[in-house]
Order: sequence, then structure tokens, then C-alpha cells
Amino acid sequence: MKVSRRDLLLGTAGLTAGIFFTPVPWKVLDDVSIWTQNWAWIPQPPRGPVTTKLAACTLCPSGCSLRVRMAGGFPVGVSGSPAHPLTKGALCPLGFAAHQLNWHPARLQEVRHQGRAASWEEARSAFEKACAEGPIAIVDGRSGRAASIVLQSFAAKHKASYDALRNAEEKSLAPYAKWANVSVSSLGYDLENVRTIVSFGAPLLDGWGVPGRFTHLWAERAAGESDPQLRLIQIEPKLSRTASGAWRWIPICQGSEELLAASLASVLIEEHLVPAQGPVPPASVTDAASQTGLTPAAIRELARAIVDRKPVLCISDGESPAIAALNLLLGAVGTPGGILPKSGHPLPMPPASANDKPLRAVLIDSTVPWEYVAPEGAEAFRFAAWDGGGSRAEWLLPAPGFLEELSDLPSPPTCAVATYAVAPNLLSTSAQTKTAAEFLLQIDPTLPAIDQTIRARCEEIFRARRGTVHAAKPASIASFESAAKLEQALRDGGVWLDDPPAHSPLKCSLREWPGNSGNRAPANWATTWAQPVLPPLAAKLYQESSLRETPQRSQS
Amino acid sequence: MSARYGMVIDLDRCTGCGACMVACAAENNVPPLPARATDRTGLTPMLVHKVNNGLEGAGRREAFIPIACMHCANETPCVSVCPQQAVEVDKATGIVMQIPQRCLGCRYCMTACPYHARYFNWWDPSWPPGMEKTLNPGVATRMRGVVEKCNLCHARLHTAMEKAAAEGKKEIEMTDYIPACVEACPTNAIQFGDLANPDDPASQAAHSPETFRLLARLGTEPKIYYKSRQPWVRALAERSASGHATEGQHV
Repeated sequence: MKVSRRDLLLGTAGLTAGIFFTPVPWKVLDDVSIWTQNWAWIPQPPRGPVTTKLAACTLCPSGCSLRVRMAGGFPVGVSGSPAHPLTKGALCPLGFAAHQLNWHPARLQEVRHQGRAASWEEARSAFEKACAEGPIAIVDGRSGRAASIVLQSFAAKHKASYDALRNAEEKSLAPYAKWANVSVSSLGYDLENVRTIVSFGAPLLDGWGVPGRFTHLWAERAAGESDPQLRLIQIEPKLSRTASGAWRWIPICQGSEELLAASLASVLIEEHLVPAQGPVPPASVTDAASQTGLTPAAIRELARAIVDRKPVLCISDGESPAIAALNLLLGAVGTPGGILPKSGHPLPMPPASANDKPLRAVLIDSTVPWEYVAPEGAEAFRFAAWDGGGSRAEWLLPAPGFLEELSDLPSPPTCAVATYAVAPNLLSTSAQTKTAAEFLLQIDPTLPAIDQTIRARCEEIFRARRGTVHAAKPASIASFESAAKLEQALRDGGVWLDDPPAHSPLKCSLREWPGNSGNRAPANWATTWAQPVLPPLAAKLYQESSLRETPQRSQS
Repeated sequence: MSARYGMVIDLDRCTGCGACMVACAAENNVPPLPARATDRTGLTPMLVHKVNNGLEGAGRREAFIPIACMHCANETPCVSVCPQQAVEVDKATGIVMQIPQRCLGCRYCMTACPYHARYFNWWDPSWPPGMEKTLNPGVATRMRGVVEKCNLCHARLHTAMEKAAAEGKKEIEMTDYIPACVEACPTNAIQFGDLANPDDPASQAAHSPETFRLLARLGTEPKIYYKSRQPWVRALAERSASGHATEGQHV
């Protein structure tokens, strides 16, 4: 049979048309698609069995319990543990991507001296020299930990000053601590029993205190209700997340919060809405109206609304003696639904020592925020897991990252009931990293080791026979056979919660109405760091959506 | 197994914290994008929008509306336009699935989606060195040039199904299948469940008179329900439901 050119063309055309009625082109297309989506350079997830371990977050003092999914020895997912009695499984947005932080490009990998690579030995000899010349200071951003005991003991032994920095929540409790002559860490807010909260700019629904503690209360008792069980009155210049979720939002001029508190106090006394006791505030309603932007009638109406449903609790954003004095007037100090001392608080801390002399050197713990500026002229030894930019230090010393450090977590600020947890180190640390406590322990091995302090604290809790350990199943302390078993339960992710306080009296005395403490910058996690070192996925919140402001946006 | 998975989101409880967005991205191996990525070019299978009541002064209020794929049950727009059959409605679960291996990146589905819940993957997935060790082993990474969206954490459904199979059960326990955004919500604003099961709390909540669906007038039967007791939030939803705008309100 002779094949003509025409037959050849017809056959080719027929084959071409016919091939589309077969699975061949679609299979080829499918395979090409799959092939082009599996290039060698495309990252592949790790292999290995997935296990779940309990841990605790150490990114902030709240100490939220974590459920960490591990594969191939690495954390591949983080979620909150519902067993935690305060957070009930809640985490802040950053917590969900915190396991990626250890590979953040800003991770400090080596000791750096004035921007150049150096060794731990050089850092150690420089610090020992500074100690010998003195005076030096040790700055701790989160006092009360076992590591803090090391820092404090070193300071006491080497005649250094120990400076414990406080965050905004702790600062809000400082006036009561001063008036009652107790430590700030022994006080907390009894939010569970309060019926009206007057927040002077405190970001109660945006990461304030322990994530989940107030938001759960708000969701159950206030969200969306026109007459909620829990009334939240937000006094703040800007419509924040908390203001949006509040029962009432009172917009006032920036910096006039304390004057408004004083004028509310004078209305409460003048109209006999509270039993008159203590000093009378010097503020008049007319003055307050001119500075706050509210009308005198609005201030009087607000004062009546505040006491309409008791107990009432005022919360400031940072230290504010005038707002604390308003709480005193409202009877919110030392009573249920107010400010309470943590009864049986088993972890007392000695007060910080201060040094007014010019410092030769300052050792800054990794818990200190980057906005902290070392005293002028002092040689700064800054421990940090990530380079936050901000104020530079002569020495940058790499510290362990997320889940890389054994630590303990005493009661978080604002909590009225004592808690204790242990954050295990699920990941091995690099040989290049050291905590400030480890650094000092190498210089002076006679200091109390972190393991020993954790053990001693567990023994103390065991001896007190108070409270419950919240793990997969809650267990009272009485059910533990030994302190070692209690310690193991805490190392496995359990959280000890003390029994509710027995309302021991908190005597605060105030001779005269406190003055204005000045304007304060608004608290915002995105602006408090000199250069936020956030998990890369946090960009979803401020870059790929307009949900949160970047520092640049908020400044503009 | 014949379920119809869906959600009921209580907007009054949403504080706009964004935990759902970050948890979703971490669970589904969504990569961190270059600094030039924006809300138009980003990858946010769950995106929380901020809306307000249009008033000024003390009367002004804001609310937050989390929007993910609505998993439309009727005439699913993205399914009908896809030339590659890269979008399928799983009959067993009601989940609208995106199959990246089939996707050509033509973005018809993005145009067709009335909720703007689909995102084009503009960049190759890449993580800072070492960070790929933290990827979720249950979810494959996707190449650039494909469309992505919420699949109700399908990997978690697979895990729950494997567990049920290992235990000799035909049906999964709903406690074993909780999408990442639901698990992450600190106020329990998101209820998830089988809307076809009348005993499921989410199903009961979805069928209560308080709930509404966005753009309900289109008749696509979305499986994401919302609820709010705020009249202005409901008015916004009614605008989307009936087509009648209420003056002074802005999305």
C-alpha cells in the first residue's frame, strides 16, 4: 500500500485529534504539574513519627502552657494546653509560630564584641575585670525565676546592684505594694469576682496579663451583651480592640487619665456614692472637663455608672497612683473582686537593690526588652537570643532560644492566686549559647544551680500541702507521694495552682491624694520593641492584612 | 461517612487578635512571604477583616470578621469555572478542596469567588535556613503559580480518619478533628462541627435564628455561618444578604 503525502497528513491530524480523547495528554500534564512542583530546592516537611509534648512558653512572664507537636526531634506545631487553669488553652498570636523563632534570621549565633566576633572566654575575662573594678549592676527583666536567684545571689556576693525591671501590668500594682509595704509580685487582680472594670487604657483584650484569663471572662460574661454581667468601661483616647469590646468606651484626651480619676473620686465623695475616707482629691470636675474633653455632666454620670454594679475595679496601664487611690476609695483593695495578696505565696523574693553610683559595667539578662538603655558609660554585657537592634551593647552574648532553656515560671503578674510551672528544654541548645545564669555560674560555681532551686521550690510546695497540679487530669498536692514526683509532674508540663486566697487583709494607708505621674506611651507589643523580633508568620497580621499596626504605621 | 463540615463564628466574641490567622499559616505550611507582599498579594487562607459602624466619637465601634473559604454547597462558583478540575467538592465531607497539582494558576476561581477567599501563590515557598525543620509533616508545601485557600485543615481530618480506622471505627470523633483556627481562638468564638448532624452543637447553632451568612442572596449555600447581637453588624450582613445598603456603614 502506497502512503501518499495526503494520507500522512490526514493520519497525523487524526492522531493529533485522537490523542485528546485518550488520557495521555492529561496524564502528561498532571505529571508535569507534579514534577514542576517538586523541585529539589522546594522545602520538604520533616519525616518521622509525630509526638506531642507539654511545655511552657517563656516568651513573656505569663507562662502559658503549650502542647508542642514534635517530628524528627523538632517542634512542628504549637497550640495552647487546655489543662492550664488560667489560660484554658489560649495563646497569643505570636505563640502559635514561636517554634519558628529559633531559625529567625536575627538569631544571635556567636559572641560579638563591638560588632566583631569574639569568644566566651574573652567575654568572661572582660566581665571578671569589670567585676573587680566595680561597681556593676545586673538587670533582670523577669524576677522571681530560679535564674533570677542566681543573678541576685551573684549580685549580693560581688557587691553589685540587682535591678528587676517591671512590665506595665506589674507597674500598675506598684502603688498598692508601696502603700501596703509588700512586694509587687505578691499582689494580683481578682478578676473572676469583679462586676465592673474601669480600665484606664489597659489593653485588657489585647494581651494584657495572662492571655485567655480575661478574654475568657469577657467572652462568657460580656461579649455582645447590652447589659452584661461583667461591665467593662474603657477610658482611652483611641478606639482600641479593648474599647471596641467594652460595654462603654469613654474617649478622653491623651494623658488626662489621672485627672479624670481624681475628678471621679471627688464626685463619688461629693455625691456620697462611697463612704468618705482618706484624702480628698484636689481636682474639680470643671478642670477635669476642660482637660479630658468630657463634659462635667458626663463625668458625673460616669461616676454614678461606675458604682452602679459592685464590686468595681479600676486598672491602669502602667503605674498610676491616682488610679490606685480611686481603687482605694472604691474599696477595691484587699476585698474580693479587687486587688488581693496572694495568700501562701511560696516564692518570696528579696527586694531589688539600687545603686546610684556611676556603673563600670552592666549585665543585661535575655529577658530584658531591647528598649532598655544601659546607663551612660557602663560596659554592657547583653544576653539575647535574637538581635533586636535597639540600644547597642559592647558585648552581645547569644542566649538559648524558644524551648531551649530549662526555666521555671512563678506566678504571672496580675494573677491573684499563686502558680508555679517548669518550662522544660525540649530542644538541645547550641554550644555557642549560654544563659546569663550559666555565665555567672561558670564564674562562681558556688551560686545556687537552677536545678537545685527548682527542686527546692517543689519541695516547698510539697511541704505546704496546698493547691492542685493541673495536667491532663488535675491532682491535689496531697495526692503526690513525694516532692520528686511533684517535680516530675511539673517538668512534664503540669501547672501548680494555689488554693484561692483566704482574703487576708491588705492595709493601704494614704495621707494625701497622689499627684499626676505624667503621660505614658501606649502599650502595644508591636511598638515596645526597638525592632520587633517576631516569628516570620506574624507578618500575616501587619503586612498581609491591616489587622495590626507596624511600628512604622503607628508612628505615622 | 457523609458529613457537612462547617463553622459558626460569633462576631461578638472576636477581638481581632489574629491568633487564627497565624495558627492557620503555621498549620498549613504557609511560607513567610517577601517584604513586598501586601494584603492583596499575601497568602492568608484565614483573614480577619476590620469593619466599623460608620459613626464618629464615643458611638464608634469596630468589629472583626474572620473570612475563610465559605465551602459553598450549591453551584460552588470556583468549581464551575475551573478549567483544570483542580477544585472539587468532597461529597463525603462537603469540603471544597483545592488540588494544587492540577492548578494552572489561571485565577478564574479567584475572580469567581464572591468572598475573595482565594489567594494566588506569587512566590516559591522558602523559609530562612533551618526553619523548614519546623514544617508540619502532614501538609505538603505548594509551588508558586497555584491558587491556595482554606481546606478546613484537611490534614487533621486525615489524621482523625486514620485514628478512627486504627480503632476499627467508621466515623471520626469530632474531638479528633478541630481545624487550627478553631483551636487557636482564645475566646472560643469559632464553633466547628458537622452541620448535617442535628445533634452537633455547631449544627444547632447554625440553625438558630441569630445566625446569618454572608452574601446569602447569591444562593451558594456557604457553610460558614456568623452570628452577632450587635444591630449594626447584623445590618451589614443583611446588606450583603439582601442587597439593600444601610447608610452610614462601611466595610
